[in-house]
Amino acid sequence: MTESESTALHRRRFLKGMVVAGGATIASPAAVQAQAAEKPNGNASPPTAAAKANERETPQEADRLTTEKTGSDFMVDVCKTLNLDYMAACPGSTFRAMQESFINYGQNKRPEWLTCMHEEVAVGMAHGYAKVAGKPMAAIVHGTVGTQHAAMGIYNAYCDRVPIMVFAGNAGALDERRPGVEWFHSVQDGAATVRDFVKWDDYPMSLQHFAESTVRGYALACAQPPGPVFITADTKLQEGPLDQRDQRKLTIPRLVKPSQAAGDANAVREAAKMLVAAEAPVIIADRYARSQQGMDDLVTLAELLQAPVVDNRSRMNMPNTHYLCQSERAGGLIAQADCILSLEPVDLYGQLNVMRDQLERTVSSKAKKGVKVVSISTHDLLVHSNYQDFQRYVGADINITADAQTTLPSLIEAVRREIAPGGNKSAEPRGQKMREAFNGFADRARAEAALAWDATPISSARMYMELWEQLRREDWALVSDSDFSSNWPHRLWPMDRHYRFIGGSGGYGVGYQPVAALGAALAHRDAGGRVVVSITGDGEFNMAPHTLWTAAHHGIPYLTIIQNNRAYHQEVMHVQRMANRHNRGLRNVPIGTTIDNPNIDYARIAQGYGAVGIGPISDPNDLSEAIRKGVAAVKAGQPALIDVVMQPR
Amino acid sequence: MKQIILCLAGLMLAAGPACAQQDSAPAGNAANGKTLYAQVGCYQCHGYAGQGARMTGPRISRTEFPFEGFLYQLRHPANQMPPYEAAVISDQDAADLYAYVRQMPSPRDPNSIPLLNAKR
Repeated sequence: MTESESTALHRRRFLKGMVVAGGATIASPAAVQAQAAEKPNGNASPPTAAAKANERETPQEADRLTTEKTGSDFMVDVCKTLNLDYMAACPGSTFRAMQESFINYGQNKRPEWLTCMHEEVAVGMAHGYAKVAGKPMAAIVHGTVGTQHAAMGIYNAYCDRVPIMVFAGNAGALDERRPGVEWFHSVQDGAATVRDFVKWDDYPMSLQHFAESTVRGYALACAQPPGPVFITADTKLQEGPLDQRDQRKLTIPRLVKPSQAAGDANAVREAAKMLVAAEAPVIIADRYARSQQGMDDLVTLAELLQAPVVDNRSRMNMPNTHYLCQSERAGGLIAQADCILSLEPVDLYGQLNVMRDQLERTVSSKAKKGVKVVSISTHDLLVHSNYQDFQRYVGADINITADAQTTLPSLIEAVRREIAPGGNKSAEPRGQKMREAFNGFADRARAEAALAWDATPISSARMYMELWEQLRREDWALVSDSDFSSNWPHRLWPMDRHYRFIGGSGGYGVGYQPVAALGAALAHRDAGGRVVVSITGDGEFNMAPHTLWTAAHHGIPYLTIIQNNRAYHQEVMHVQRMANRHNRGLRNVPIGTTIDNPNIDYARIAQGYGAVGIGPISDPNDLSEAIRKGVAAVKAGQPALIDVVMQPR
Repeated sequence: MKQIILCLAGLMLAAGPACAQQDSAPAGNAANGKTLYAQVGCYQCHGYAGQGARMTGPRISRTEFPFEGFLYQLRHPANQMPPYEAAVISDQDAADLYAYVRQMPSPRDPNSIPLLNAKR
């Protein structure tokens, strides 16, 4: 007997057992009444079969209480063709049949079912996972309320252009809903809540429809620009019996991964001419590299042009160990540039302009007049109307609507053709200047890091360097953004491989960090046990502290360091700005923005969820030992948390 | 012209110790300045040690920026810094703050910190 047969038989025995037990307790009184009513009257002839059927309150087929195969089993078959490794969920009855099919019929393998304590965790986990694994994982959410919980996480993934597969249960037909709760969790149009910020959605009306839409959805999610796809799985389709005859009619389409859109050859040639002719070209890389190949190509292009690269860090784009990585001089370089190549800009307008946040908002250009701008981006291929993530319009001189990573090899070739046979001699002095500037970056960063080295609360620079001391001999990955901690890892650590860093949230929805870190850590675990660290603000962490339970439950090791400034600090600064603007004094600014009185004990919270909890650490001299213990726990396979009381930024 | 002055003010404050010192500052109470530094939220953007932070504000510890420019930057910030008018920080409070940031502890030499000298 194979393992699958064994599992299936056990499942059948279990279900039959449940039916027998249920029948004994619930159906018996009705059965007794029916028997009493059917006692033949001496003066009357027995009722015919037809009369009996007419008198029944429920149709004859309702006597069928079990089935060996359901629509949800077929849905598992569909998902298994997509190479989905995980399905994350907070339980919900509108997908109960799918859950049962995945864990029993599907043997809880590929995809493996992951237990989350909030739908935002399930989808946020998928967000972080995809950025490391390079492929989607799935989340499934309860009808209506689960979708509402998941919405912000889906929005972050949409803004960040990350592929995730989201399924939602729903009881569509009203005559199939039980009175009460099922009505509250049913909806006419399940995706309406999130339609403005998914790439595609569908509500399949048949199992064949489900198969085609799920495969189509996966392909669409992965096509550049990627994004979330939302498939509603009707409960009747899930729970309905699937007999062999119907099953034979079903087919699962073959998934064909799409090739990505490269830039128009003429536009690429013109861009190359413009870049080679420029005296001060600058490359800005934003949501550009999705693999090591993307990084390597960017280095090749930058070296050909001897052009500085400003890495906006929405992805790991440019190794900061390369002398042409000049992010530290972004302002000056953009101001002096005569040609800017922008790769997958999140906000091209914001790259070129700055708005002053004072009572009267004024805009000034960061770039000099007449600068030529070349944009290579999939931005225009995924623009919706309501949510304004598309930013302000900029008319670039050459706007190549294509995937920048796919286009770069042809741009490199075009640049090579444009450079005279003797080489790009005019670029050599430029390169020399870049080397000289690069050599000063480390010294400047070290000097700035020393400024508050012994300060209490602990400085962000001290924390990052104490952490680096424990990581530098490991194969490590940082799965958190560093904008709120002065970009220290990008200034002080060697960020040399694509997997070292995954960028930020996309939509700035607070709560992304702990959940994305969980998913990213899962992908890193599967990739071979890298030591994963996430620096998480206390406000962020409080949105989903139970991620640590999911990590402990499923054996996902990573180190969370709470950057504990005891506030929603960005909002502290915003409220202070308003108080200043209104000349009302600053005494009340902490109201509604600080997280103290009482202080939260994050180490105990971590321990309560089954993770290693260390801290609070307030003395910078205690950091080294605390981080050593935390990293040791992670290397031993445990999730760990260190609470570090820190400076605001 | 006003724009040029504003830009200079911003640049000079950011430059900190690189600028020439002027002795025209009024007498300030550094102890009160320390209290004010926390109360009026200077630390929020510039850090408790005045070390500055990449996205919020430059270093101001031990500034050699002249008091007049310091005050002008408070009242008419050149960049994203929120304005501090006299209703929020009086001239005397500003002098106290100035005295405090001027006497903040000297930073350590990065070459004396082993973690900052380890090979990347």
